[in-house]
Amino acid sequence: MASTTAPPAHPARAGTPSEDGASPARRPRQRHRLAAWTMLAPALLLFVAFLLVPIGYALWLSLRGLRLEGGGPFGRRVETFVGLENYATAIADAEFLAGFGRLLVYGALAVPFTLGLALVFALLLDARAARATRFSRTAIFLPYAVPGVVASLLWGFLYLPGTSPFSWLTDQLGGGAIPFLQDPWIFASVANIAVWGGVGFNMIIIYTSLRGIPEEIYEAARIDGAGEWQIAWRIKVPLVAPALVLTGLFSLIGTLQVYGEPTTLRPMTSAISQTWVPLMTIYRDAFTRDDLPLAAAESVLLAGLTVVLSVVLLRLNQRRIFGGS
Amino acid sequence: MSAAPSTARPTATAAPPRPTGRPRRSVGGVAATTVLLLGALYCLVPVAWVVVASTKSRGELFTTFTFLPGSGLLDNLGDLFAYGGGQFGGWALNSLLYAGVGSVLSTLVSALAGYALAKYEFTGRNLVFFLVLAGVLIPGITLAVPQYLIMSDLGLAGSRWSVLLPSIISPFGIYLARVFAASVPDDTVEAARLDGASEGRIFISIALPMLVPGLVTLFMLQFVGIWNNFLLPFIMLADQGKYPLTVGLYTLLSRGSGEPGLYSLAIIGAALSVVPLAALMLVLQRYWRLDVLSGGLKG
Amino acid sequence: MSRKSLLTAAALSAALVLSACSGGSGSGGEGGGDGPVTLDYWAWGTAQPGLVEAWNAANPDIQVRLTDAGGGTDSSAKLLTSTRAGEAPDVAVVEYQTLPAMIVGDVATDITDLVPQDVTDAFPASTWDLTRFNDAVYGVPQDVGPQALVYNSARLAELGITVPTTWAEFTEAARAVRAADPNAYLATFNPGEFGFFAAMAQQAGASWWEVDGESWSVGIDSSESVAVADYWQQLIDEDLVKVEDLLTPQWNQELNAGQILSWPSALWAPGVISGVAPDMTGQWAMAPMPQWTPGDDRVAYQGGSATIVTTSSDHPEEAAEFAAWINTSQEGADIQLTTGQYPASTLGQTTAEGSAPPELMPQQTDFWTTASGIAQNTIPAITWGPNVNVASSAFQDAMAAAVRDGQPLSSALAQTQQAVVADMEKTGFDVSG
Repeated sequence: MASTTAPPAHPARAGTPSEDGASPARRPRQRHRLAAWTMLAPALLLFVAFLLVPIGYALWLSLRGLRLEGGGPFGRRVETFVGLENYATAIADAEFLAGFGRLLVYGALAVPFTLGLALVFALLLDARAARATRFSRTAIFLPYAVPGVVASLLWGFLYLPGTSPFSWLTDQLGGGAIPFLQDPWIFASVANIAVWGGVGFNMIIIYTSLRGIPEEIYEAARIDGAGEWQIAWRIKVPLVAPALVLTGLFSLIGTLQVYGEPTTLRPMTSAISQTWVPLMTIYRDAFTRDDLPLAAAESVLLAGLTVVLSVVLLRLNQRRIFGGS
Repeated sequence: MSAAPSTARPTATAAPPRPTGRPRRSVGGVAATTVLLLGALYCLVPVAWVVVASTKSRGELFTTFTFLPGSGLLDNLGDLFAYGGGQFGGWALNSLLYAGVGSVLSTLVSALAGYALAKYEFTGRNLVFFLVLAGVLIPGITLAVPQYLIMSDLGLAGSRWSVLLPSIISPFGIYLARVFAASVPDDTVEAARLDGASEGRIFISIALPMLVPGLVTLFMLQFVGIWNNFLLPFIMLADQGKYPLTVGLYTLLSRGSGEPGLYSLAIIGAALSVVPLAALMLVLQRYWRLDVLSGGLKG
Repeated sequence: MSRKSLLTAAALSAALVLSACSGGSGSGGEGGGDGPVTLDYWAWGTAQPGLVEAWNAANPDIQVRLTDAGGGTDSSAKLLTSTRAGEAPDVAVVEYQTLPAMIVGDVATDITDLVPQDVTDAFPASTWDLTRFNDAVYGVPQDVGPQALVYNSARLAELGITVPTTWAEFTEAARAVRAADPNAYLATFNPGEFGFFAAMAQQAGASWWEVDGESWSVGIDSSESVAVADYWQQLIDEDLVKVEDLLTPQWNQELNAGQILSWPSALWAPGVISGVAPDMTGQWAMAPMPQWTPGDDRVAYQGGSATIVTTSSDHPEEAAEFAAWINTSQEGADIQLTTGQYPASTLGQTTAEGSAPPELMPQQTDFWTTASGIAQNTIPAITWGPNVNVASSAFQDAMAAAVRDGQPLSSALAQTQQAVVADMEKTGFDVSG
């Protein structure tokens, strides 16, 4: 980045005029820098304002607490510094930790089923012998267009004994209603909503990745005598590994942040408490218990866990994603 | 779905466009198709349910068999749009505003940023890109409440801006845009530079047209994301008139316990709210370019 | 405030761009000495639009803008956050049990000096205890919910069961119902209903929070409360009441089918049942709540709210005027009655006596006179603590867990007590036992 006159060593910021009046063609680097930062400016402004500053504020708030000022039974609660007390409270809170435990069960159901079904459907769509693929693809993708709250509403009614066609069926057969909304089936019921909503999107990602595989690879395998199923498992799946990792990452983040589905189902069942998943605890602490600093500490913990798990996932699959390097 | 005769070599039938070849096993084809259709059925059942349920009047909802159409469709529609003096229509317009304006702006911002990251070398580029990646991993809730407090500092809390502005920045959108922009050939750009075009001109006249499918993908992803978003508007807004469909429907549902007539409204509202998104996606289907999502990881 | 300057400095570049686009709303009221004053008012319920319209028509210089911010819990949560953000309305409706939290959270302002004598006289003296703390008045009472028993008179008559007047009789009646019709229950028990259980405990003599000089004492697991828990425990164990959440589609269905024969609740219940079961008009009636001691007539309040003026308001005098008017005027009382609220004001209650009975029970012509009698016997001076929201959420979780795990309900009370005391101590309150 050499230049004969003495411009500042740092790249030109948005809005700074160029160092001298020389024609742009003579200073391509500076011109590039200017252009780059100008183009980045809107994104950076918004990023700082709506991502960095809030994160910083959340961190700062997590070190504060609402304590009584002015003695007597009706003093006012004001913000003061309390150090790591909120973190200690959060980690010691059995309900908060139990929420993570429930996430584990929920995730163990939701993630494999979402990815597994997405993979199966994508492979089937790609199979030459399959028919009605356009219809199926569109139908399976449709739930992506349904907001989580609405999906929970729909499935909620499909679970409720009074309106569920499934329970009606088993009732007619003499078996009584299916206990969708009771422990421990509630985990499967909530996971099902996530699976239903997520399969389509993930399927499309894997499918478009499959479509990018050149036919020659298959031809070679067929000439060697491989059957369609073998081709699917031995060739296609490994080749879409990056797509699988990506969808896995999405599913992981989605699982850790599940909130809308249990909240919407809550009025319909007593198996879901106010603190069923960590995000619900955070919401309760922030708004119902009016303890924003504690909620901030809890969300920092949740965010930290998300980042750690995501990095671990990407690291473990580094070879698969980035090739042999 | 019929079994192809196993002796002769059937030519490719009405299958999706792919190189010619014959289906190996018709049984496999039947199995594959069946599984796909089962999957389609699974995905369609709730949608079918809500369509049927929205035809039921208040009294019929809990008393008649689930998939039996009811008689109250027009009544329900009327009640829905009359509720709260036309609130539902307002919610739909709000959703359109937040999602429409938000995704257009977001696409532009992401396209600019992605292009800059892909096409220029400058100090700080890797740092910015790292920040973008980190931004993808931050969960929404960590941001929602601090964003609310920042909005109030700016005097915007409770206004429509408080929902619009945070929706414009999308780290994942920037990441995707970078991947798309990388496919714009450097030679073309260089040639244009030699011809004396400014960087801005190059971006607008050369890069953008090439990026149209990618831009459409970005737009769609962001549109769906904002349309379906619940937490952000829920926290930011107090005035029901500014709610998008997601929050409005949730309000109907949670009030439904005290006023069960609202259940029917919530149901038909839900049915209607799915229609625009579904239509949009069907129309823009051919522009989807999600293959880069996974391919981009290699880049 | 250092927080404000920290944030504004950090977001300065963003603010430059965005301040040009600011279209903020909802920040207190506008208007000044010249020109109409606009007040922001947060309230929920069917009575509110009518009240606001009537006021606006009669007061062109003080206009009120109504926002429905959701029911009791949603609304109070939003009030707390918006106060912190400086975005709170001028006037708001707050449930009595949430009022102490609003005071401690610096949302409700002291309006003792803004309440003229005629407004003070408009309510029975004991009603002001609902909004007075530390000798300061923080809200104008709007409606009250004295507890009462609402029951399916048609079905009880059909099964030959008399209406219980004591809790012992209630148990007997429940047994009779189960014997006569295996599908029906005399009542359901909702483990999460904090307001109901608190009122029941109060009727039995418990005092969940008490101010003792400079400190609080918390008695959620007192012997009276435990006695109430054990009573309902027994009903549950013998399958005499059904454990179920209220007002779910399931519950509504059962109510309509005549399988739930009573609802121990409060005077506002008929309106709710009308909404859920419009076809059951004429089949229900109201009676005073069963007592522990025969001949007693004490009941507690369940629900009811007050209108507060917020600390964020720039026009507290006008706001107080509005708050007083909707709760003490004749028009206000009329609107309240038509929408099913039982007014807290004397005028409202007298007017009630002359009105037609609620839609659900046109046959009970003495509804309002009975209601007046009940209202006069409510237990005075029940204190709610500064963290009722914590108590409520802890209670709900503990009770749900107790029911699910087969633990006695009284253990849920002990857990709630623990959580409440811990929270109060953490905040810095002095708690004695």
